[in-house]
Amino acid sequence: MAIATLRRLTYEYPAAGRPALSGVELDLQPGLTLVTGASGSGKSTLLRLLNGLVPHFHGGAISGAASVLGLDVLQSRPRLLARHVGFVFDDPERQFVYGTVERDVAFALENVGLPANKQAERVEEALAAIGIGHLRRRRIASLSGGERQRVALAGAIALKPELVVLDEPATQLDEEGAQALACACERLLREGCSVVVAEHPPHRLAALADRELLVSGGTVAVVAACGQEPRAAPAREPRSGLVRPHGGTLVEARGLAVGATGTAVIQAVDFQLRGGEVVALRGPNGSGKTTLMRTLAGLLRPLAGSVSRPVRNIAYLPQNPSALLHQPTLAQEVNLTLLRRGTAERADDILQKLDLEHAAGRYPRDLSGGERQRAAIAAVLAGAPELVFLDEPTRGMDPDARGRLACLLQQLAGSGSGVVVATHDQLLAGAVANRTLVIRDGRVHEE
Amino acid sequence: MNARALAGWTLAAVFVALATTNPVYRVLVALAALNVVLATLLPGRSARPLLRAVIFAALASVALNLLLSRAGDHAFAAVPAQVPLVAGPLTLESVAFGVTAAAGLCAAVLAVAPLSLSLEAHELVDALPRPLERTGAAVAAALNLVPGIATSFTAVREAQLMRGWRARRLSSWNEVLVPVVLTAIEDSIRLAEVMEARAFGSGRRVQFAKRGWSPRDTAVAGAAVMAVALFAYSRWRGSAGDWYPYPSLAWPDVDPLAVMACVLLAAPGLAWRSRRCGG
Repeated sequence: MAIATLRRLTYEYPAAGRPALSGVELDLQPGLTLVTGASGSGKSTLLRLLNGLVPHFHGGAISGAASVLGLDVLQSRPRLLARHVGFVFDDPERQFVYGTVERDVAFALENVGLPANKQAERVEEALAAIGIGHLRRRRIASLSGGERQRVALAGAIALKPELVVLDEPATQLDEEGAQALACACERLLREGCSVVVAEHPPHRLAALADRELLVSGGTVAVVAACGQEPRAAPAREPRSGLVRPHGGTLVEARGLAVGATGTAVIQAVDFQLRGGEVVALRGPNGSGKTTLMRTLAGLLRPLAGSVSRPVRNIAYLPQNPSALLHQPTLAQEVNLTLLRRGTAERADDILQKLDLEHAAGRYPRDLSGGERQRAAIAAVLAGAPELVFLDEPTRGMDPDARGRLACLLQQLAGSGSGVVVATHDQLLAGAVANRTLVIRDGRVHEE
Repeated sequence: MNARALAGWTLAAVFVALATTNPVYRVLVALAALNVVLATLLPGRSARPLLRAVIFAALASVALNLLLSRAGDHAFAAVPAQVPLVAGPLTLESVAFGVTAAAGLCAAVLAVAPLSLSLEAHELVDALPRPLERTGAAVAAALNLVPGIATSFTAVREAQLMRGWRARRLSSWNEVLVPVVLTAIEDSIRLAEVMEARAFGSGRRVQFAKRGWSPRDTAVAGAAVMAVALFAYSRWRGSAGDWYPYPSLAWPDVDPLAVMACVLLAAPGLAWRSRRCGG
């Protein structure tokens, strides 16, 4: 029996002008369903429909019929569906209500009025089911990204839902965190819970998936049914091979120790970046990649050692793209950077390279997660910077967008710029990096 | 520590600090409160930003009073008449009054600080009466957003600096403040979405196991009640009177009963340390 049924389902966000989902017909069977599709295709909307956030929380116009586990989604508020559908959001930083693990996992149990003694049992069961019983007394702020997502998953299953929905849960996780999350999903499936997960490649859960749904332009199609191996989405390859370093030194560090709060998290760093060189910086969540980049970029003072940067035109992409975006349209956002860099380049050039021409007149914060990330990249890379620092640039990006970014970075390197990119994305690192530095145990090692 | 016991202590400390202008009592309360802040600090939290802010506010209070007050018999310097607004004599009395005001400010702030530095937000919510539970849960969730705003400010400022932004005029801060505000709004909308997706508002809430009331909590609450009673009695008797440095500076009177009331306010710090020693 299907766990969710959608019939001629069409949904449009308020003032969007076009439907996010259009005429969807779907019978979702139990097991693990993988949801794939390009950025902005409607994956998150489909997932939010399964727990009623669409349309009840987001508003907008909806037509057709949708039922999940026998409940009419159009008539049932998310707070009622929450007893049957657990939901994990993509951002490990922004989905906790309380400050401690135990208390946050119990939040939904408190809300449905479960007796206090039962709540303690359920919290213990949920933490054990995800394999994080040891985190019970920890503060959320002290957890790594992978640990946080597993805590979020424990919170989602504490009510023992029949269905758990995960919206790109591993997009900001290192390999270890993503693997632990995949193991937790495997446990849920073994216990009879159905799982729907939206994910860009590489599909860590592909081996467990019973089917794959492809969301494209608001339509949903089953592209791999039960028993078939989910297909691998084609990655757009960079157009040319790696550029050989051919310029002078753009940034050089000697005996560097870095730390954001006065305590060194990485020490004894000797580093040199030349024009035309792309360096990938890798390491687990919390290892200090961002701190090292901020120090190299001149945003943090070194705790020891020295950094020299004989260039002025530096671009820096922070981990959170929202930190940049504030202009009324994307074109104005890019033009602001071009104006400051004093270049005659046109905004259209970089928007075209990142496949964002269609969004030039849109408010950047209205874009989907992956598009917003590209918008931020366009805003920092416009005007041909000489030295580029990118912090997790591919989060939420589909394979095509990643390929475009790889091409753009190679073009920059080809024109003599130097690029440092902190990333968990091995595909990107493999496609663009001349060398990879790995942070391990407070030291930087060349891979 | 039980949130209700700590809240009782906070009320008592604020009462004593604000019920008098005598700097001796205010300084004693500030020291007792500082002891409590340092002793009960939760792991992972730092008192450093609070102490920095308190010291800054105290110095500002003394400096402002020194520059703006012209009263007092003991002038030790003068600001030339050409300097607008602050021209005139600088007196020891104005410094003393500034110190008293600063001590009151420090004592009050340090007395309230343990509610955020020594308790999780949910512990405060647990201490609310039942009719306020749901509102309290929403407030606790909102409080969790506050540290994110500071992080967001740093991230936005750095990102805009690297794009060539410089803080030249007041209006130039729009490029930093607008994204910070927009991000905070987005975060709060996401939080509301998370709460809705986790059944918030679906029926009568039942709180997760609350922290119990221990003999130490009784000792803390008892000490707070005793402190208020002793200080109020001392004030009523007239022996813990107010103190004004004007027109001529004199030593403040000190009443042993009122001093004892201030010393009793150190109880939570002692109770916390004894808990640690006892495991």
